[in-house]
Amino acid sequence: MKKRAFFVSAVLAGGAVFTAVSLAQQQLPTHLKELLELGMHPGHAFIDEGREMFHKPGPNGKSCATCHGQDGKKLEGAYAKMPRYYKDIDRVADIDTRILACMTKYMGYNAKDKKFKKKFNKWSGPYRVPLATYVASLSNGMKINVQLDDPQEKKLYEYGKKLWYMRVGARDFSCGICHTVLAGKRIRLQGLPDPVKNKLYTHWPAYRFGSDRMWTMEDRVRSCWKAYLLYVKQWHQKKDWVKKPPPYSDWVIALELYMKKAANGATVEVPGLLR
Amino acid sequence: MKKVFLAGAMVGLGLLVACQPAAQQAEAPKKAEKKKLSKTEKFRIALSNQDKYQKACSNPTQLVPEGIDIETFKKDMLATVKFPEGGVVGKNIARGEKLFGDPKKGGKSRRGNCYACHCGDPKIIACGNIGPSLRGYGKRGIDPKDTYIRIYNSWAQNPCSVMPRLGYHGVLKPEEIADIVAYMHDPNSPLNK
Ligand code: HEC
Ligand code: HEC
Ligand code: HEC
Repeated sequence: MKKRAFFVSAVLAGGAVFTAVSLAQQQLPTHLKELLELGMHPGHAFIDEGREMFHKPGPNGKSCATCHGQDGKKLEGAYAKMPRYYKDIDRVADIDTRILACMTKYMGYNAKDKKFKKKFNKWSGPYRVPLATYVASLSNGMKINVQLDDPQEKKLYEYGKKLWYMRVGARDFSCGICHTVLAGKRIRLQGLPDPVKNKLYTHWPAYRFGSDRMWTMEDRVRSCWKAYLLYVKQWHQKKDWVKKPPPYSDWVIALELYMKKAANGATVEVPGLLR
Repeated sequence: MKKVFLAGAMVGLGLLVACQPAAQQAEAPKKAEKKKLSKTEKFRIALSNQDKYQKACSNPTQLVPEGIDIETFKKDMLATVKFPEGGVVGKNIARGEKLFGDPKKGGKSRRGNCYACHCGDPKIIACGNIGPSLRGYGKRGIDPKDTYIRIYNSWAQNPCSVMPRLGYHGVLKPEEIADIVAYMHDPNSPLNK
């Protein structure tokens, strides 16, 4: 897809090591900031794609707009309060999970259809990422406000906090080791951010030009698990056998809830733009 | 390493996941079992493989064990250290260098990966600042046995350290660690030149 590729080539053309060092230290290089100021943001294409999908009828003839209003009128501000508990599906859901539930429960998409599921999960697919980005953008300018009113929300939040600090796997890491204890340090050249204290949830979903993709927080959390947490590469073993929690699982949503609650009061500004 | 003290202890929560302590290594399921286990079950098992020392380090301070006193903790960790037959200083310095961080790959190495956290060879500029620089390490008069123990199980010297227990988890073999020690203590090593 052309619209997604235009950015990276320009960005990656910069000098290798020097660029890498400055990226790690200041998050965004100035030429990207400048592009942003000119109103050019590679993530905006995903909002447009999501808006289109939002108004497109599913197998049973209903579109998201049928229930949530033209241009998502009734979803304004919804993302700022997510993840939260939903009675109709009896669980705490994040944006990815909620959209999947709406599509399968209310629009005639078949949850058991492997082809649909694959297309939904897919990073570059037409459903999950564009729709999540679009719906999130409907909360732009609003303050994050996650309340733990429901007992299930409280329970999952506490579990998220526990998971954050849980040291596991062959590297003895936890989310908290890298993002709380070592925040501000460099792992190799990569600066370690503190998503909790610095309320970084505000810029998720984010476009990451390193991978030329839009990432939802599900993608971010699961990738950190995969890359660092349960990495079990042993000399006598050819393969790591478990890498990351399944998508839409409570493990992922618990961590999202923990980080999003910490971002209460900060303003949603999506899509973010990250290295 | 500065220890960060946060107020408040972890609340004991109803675990969604059972914790079975003392499983020293995350065990991969055998082939036959592999098919039956769903991703959810596999992930649950992976978390339940948390050992009791990791669990003790899972409080918000992250760097101070809770529930095991520091001396017992260190003693237990030291008891896990296996020494290679040929002694703690290996013979294959070149392999040691590769495991430490392969200069041909800009200092990367999949299993040792010391440059993720330490600087050392001045030619490798892509190095982390999480641990102290190991530049000139071999000239500090440190006993190679202590270096070996540090790499095999850093928690024997510094409980809950962010430095992974690479020998303990089987990420590196004893002989491989000995080669890393040889590389670090060799006067001709780029670390010490
Ligand atoms: C037939 C009606 C229907 C359709 C079609 C539908 N939804 Fe929903 N949606 C619901 C219901 C019911 C809820 C739960 C509302 C509640 O409990 O507050 C919901 C909740 C949501 C929420 C959370 C809102 C909040 O206030 O927290 C989001 C986001 C959402 N839907 C997105 C979508 C998207 C995107 C689509 C299209 C892919 C879609 N929905 C299609 C009925 C629908
Ligand atoms: C070994 C270190 C390490 C561990 C452990 C780790 N991460 Fe990360 N994480 C990183 C790095 C490095 C980045 C920055 C990536 C980049 O800049 O491209 C990152 C980025 C993030 C971000 C995005 C921050 C931003 O800039 O908005 C979030 C959120 C995050 N991690 C959550 C987690 C969670 C949740 C866990 C535990 C499941 C975790 N991480 C475990 C290294 C780690
Ligand atoms: C995730 C980060 C990390 C990795 C990877 C790592 N270390 Fe460390 N290392 C540390 C930290 C932090 C310290 C400081 C002491 C402490 O906190 O335990 C340290 C301390 C040391 C020390 C003692 C230094 C001194 O001045 O006394 C040695 C030796 C050492 N590391 C060697 C290695 C070797 C060899 C490797 C690769 C096989 C390695 N480390 C990988 C984080 C790391």
